[in-house]
Amino acid sequence: MELSESVQKGFQMLADPGSFDSNAFTLLLRAAFQSLLDAQADEAVLDHPDLKHIDPVVLKHCHAAAATYILEAGKHRADKSTLSTYLEDCKFDRERIELFCTEYQNNKNSLEILLGSIGRSLPHITDVSWRLEYQIKTNQLHKMHRPAYLVTLSIQVFIDKSYPIMKCDLVGKLKDASKSLERATQL
Amino acid sequence: MLLELSEEHKEHLAFLPQVDSAVVAEFGRIAVEFLRRGTNPKIYEGAARKLNVSSDTVQHGVEGLTYLLTESSKLMISELDFQDSVFVLGFPEELNKLLLQLYLDNRKEIRTILSELAPSLPSYHNLEWRLDVQLASRSLRQQIKPAVTIKLHLNQNGDHNTRVLQTDPATLLHLVQQLEQALEEMKTNHCRRVVRNIK
Repeated sequence: MELSESVQKGFQMLADPGSFDSNAFTLLLRAAFQSLLDAQADEAVLDHPDLKHIDPVVLKHCHAAAATYILEAGKHRADKSTLSTYLEDCKFDRERIELFCTEYQNNKNSLEILLGSIGRSLPHITDVSWRLEYQIKTNQLHKMHRPAYLVTLSIQVFIDKSYPIMKCDLVGKLKDASKSLERATQL
Repeated sequence: MLLELSEEHKEHLAFLPQVDSAVVAEFGRIAVEFLRRGTNPKIYEGAARKLNVSSDTVQHGVEGLTYLLTESSKLMISELDFQDSVFVLGFPEELNKLLLQLYLDNRKEIRTILSELAPSLPSYHNLEWRLDVQLASRSLRQQIKPAVTIKLHLNQNGDHNTRVLQTDPATLLHLVQQLEQALEEMKTNHCRRVVRNIK
């Protein structure tokens, strides 16, 4: 994990009980996780009365440093010992290290889901709906008398779109795919 | 059901008894070829010279024949109805037989061509699939994320289209289950009754 000097400086300030007392430390830490993971979080996350006494520039710097570190740790799937080592290097005391690791552990799953969902991918099928119809005639052709299926695949790109298609052998092929999948999972 | 032929149509067809059966058969072949590939006016000129008539007459003859064949195919009229419809033109028996044969021989293909004219949605042609496992991305390392990548081949009005899509294993199973249910619907009593009774 490569971390910039800015992050390191931010953490060194966070480690200092003179700049951040226990309460302030906990609040800032929680605020960092909240900004990252809560979709509705905004700048007000740092607007807590118990943080008012701290210089806003310092507050922002430390908040950014914490958030950056959390993301890097999540990205590389850091374990507790990696976290502890880095925090020790930044002069965190035992208590703050424990607190950080606990908060990290609590939020680990959400963090990984968030990171895993970033990135470009192909349009993703989320659902299917179908309609069965019996075709009798068109203005060009009478007495058709055949069934047809109209299949709509719901797809999530960044906005939801639907592509209507007609089905024939679609089921056969999809079944092949799912059987191979089952075999692969049993290996 | 009998075909209703307009006066103009009957006039155009009146050219047919004036030439031999071989020519009528040739006109029939040209008519179907035009339905398949589109018209080619040069053919009319060649034929007109050989038969010593105007190219318009040949054109009307072929067009009349084409219309006769397409209307009959569209409505899927029975042999008997076709014969009765053509009877009113007062043609010799041999010509009537030839026309009936032309109808029966080409009906299926003409109906296929006509079905391509209907408004159509993209229709399924083929599906290719691939099982992938995502191991890492720029934002998250050490992943195991299975995905099924699908290339769907579609046809619309003769155009070939492909779409590449992806889904996860759970959704794939859901898709298969839903579509199997859709197929089952055709076998229900309700659908069977409808199919049996609409003729």
